[in-house]
Amino acid sequence: MSELARSLFSLEAVYALTGAVLWVFAGLTFADRGHPRRVGSGLFWSILGVIFAFGGVLPHLVTGLLVLAMVALDGAGQVGRGAAAGGVASRRLGDRIFLPVLVIPLVTFGFAAGVRLLGGDVSRGALVGLGVGGVAAMAAGLVITRGTARELMEEGRRLNEAMGAVNLLPQLLASLGVIFTAAKVGDLIAGGITRVIPGDSLFLLVLANCVGMALFTIVMGNSFAAFPVIATGVLAPLIIRPFGADPAMAAIITLTAGSSGTLMTPMAANFNIVPTALLGMRDQYGVIKFQLPFALTIWALHVVLMWLLIKFW
Amino acid sequence: MNDFAWLKLIGIVIVVVGLALRLRTTLVVVAAGLATGLVAGMPPAGIVELLGRAFAENRFVTLFIVTLPAVGLAERYGLREQAAALIRRFAAATAGRLLIVYQLFRVLMGALGLRLNGHPAFVRPLVYPMSIGAAASTLGVSRFEDVPPAADEKIKAAVAGAENYGNFYGQNLSPVQAGVLLVYGVLQGLGLGVSIWRLVLFAVPVTALSVILGALQFRRLDGRLAGGRDE
Repeated sequence: MSELARSLFSLEAVYALTGAVLWVFAGLTFADRGHPRRVGSGLFWSILGVIFAFGGVLPHLVTGLLVLAMVALDGAGQVGRGAAAGGVASRRLGDRIFLPVLVIPLVTFGFAAGVRLLGGDVSRGALVGLGVGGVAAMAAGLVITRGTARELMEEGRRLNEAMGAVNLLPQLLASLGVIFTAAKVGDLIAGGITRVIPGDSLFLLVLANCVGMALFTIVMGNSFAAFPVIATGVLAPLIIRPFGADPAMAAIITLTAGSSGTLMTPMAANFNIVPTALLGMRDQYGVIKFQLPFALTIWALHVVLMWLLIKFW
Repeated sequence: MNDFAWLKLIGIVIVVVGLALRLRTTLVVVAAGLATGLVAGMPPAGIVELLGRAFAENRFVTLFIVTLPAVGLAERYGLREQAAALIRRFAAATAGRLLIVYQLFRVLMGALGLRLNGHPAFVRPLVYPMSIGAAASTLGVSRFEDVPPAADEKIKAAVAGAENYGNFYGQNLSPVQAGVLLVYGVLQGLGLGVSIWRLVLFAVPVTALSVILGALQFRRLDGRLAGGRDE
């Protein structure tokens, strides 16, 4: 029994479930005659479903080739969203409509807490909890809205296609980090930095770490893309390992040092430029100018905070 | 280290240039990975294998897909409209105070692991009209069309800023948002396993700072609007 429960509530089971959800999305896309990228999009999400469901057992070479196939489909512009806009049902439910959405964090936290009580891995507990929470929220949503399963999956597909292949970017970037590590790119950057900054100067290394993170983010417009580079090249080899800094503390502060960069850059157009158009502003850079003093201040506080926490804690 | 070792940085160059030129991000990232592996002397099949392994091991980063049906269904039955009604209940006397409340609301949404497309969904249709309405009464004009263009421009920038501050620093308070999971995955790849809850814990100080700094900036906005009344 506990063996069954263990495999039912394992991370692989949740991945299989996600794979199944992706196949339903793909099936709906294939069936959507009005979809401008019907076949390409359908294939894209089917392949992702295969990787989710079978990534644990497929030979890694096959998974790698499947990733390349997905990226080729997206690169060729074959992945898009369906024309059907999300309509709004007329039935009004008041505040009860928050319930299905709140079920997700409640189950995630509850599951993780339960796993902790049983002495399990709480990180894994939260991830499995997210999967269980997703299913519980679907059930709660169907009960509360009295909508149909078809509506449920169509709406899920709408959200998924609206974000599109960009959904996969964090996962791809984490994979890029693995390749950088295997190619020893981090050692190379670390070696370059230690030629300029003495390896025992904690403050200057923290400064270089936060400057690097913000600069990369400003150029690329994306702190998630900057993180694997800085983490492998500066943070891990020059700060976490030699100074014994808490990896979780140093890493999350590095990530948000990048967010300060995001606030300053027109490259993050969705956040900084598109809103000026949405709001009809005269100055295209008005949002960035407003955010600049905030961003510079909080960035400087990142440097001080990280340095203090490593030095005195 | 030989003279050509620096070529390994080609991957970083590809990411930087590719994203700066707004080429398709998935293509740029995978091209960078392949190029880095080749320059480092790995066999092509080995690189693809490594990519496959890394992608499979990092599936948890994209696990949120399983929550999309429930969120989509709730949206169909009025989730956004109800959230808008919720924000309206907090109608504040001044634009600055409203933005402080909105930033907190956004942090809360992030902490609950909810992804909102805030600028089109909330900022434009809701928070901006509410802010300009509050500013009109601060400025002592009867209609919001009479708010001077300079003040209007300032308020628009501040509303967009409140959304970004709340979004960027609030999302790390959830263990299942992409940023925290990316950090978790990259640290694992580096052999520095941590708990995702510890990442969330250490996100708290910066989120608190972001709320304080935001509040200071929005209060200053109120001060300027009130000061501009007699000019």
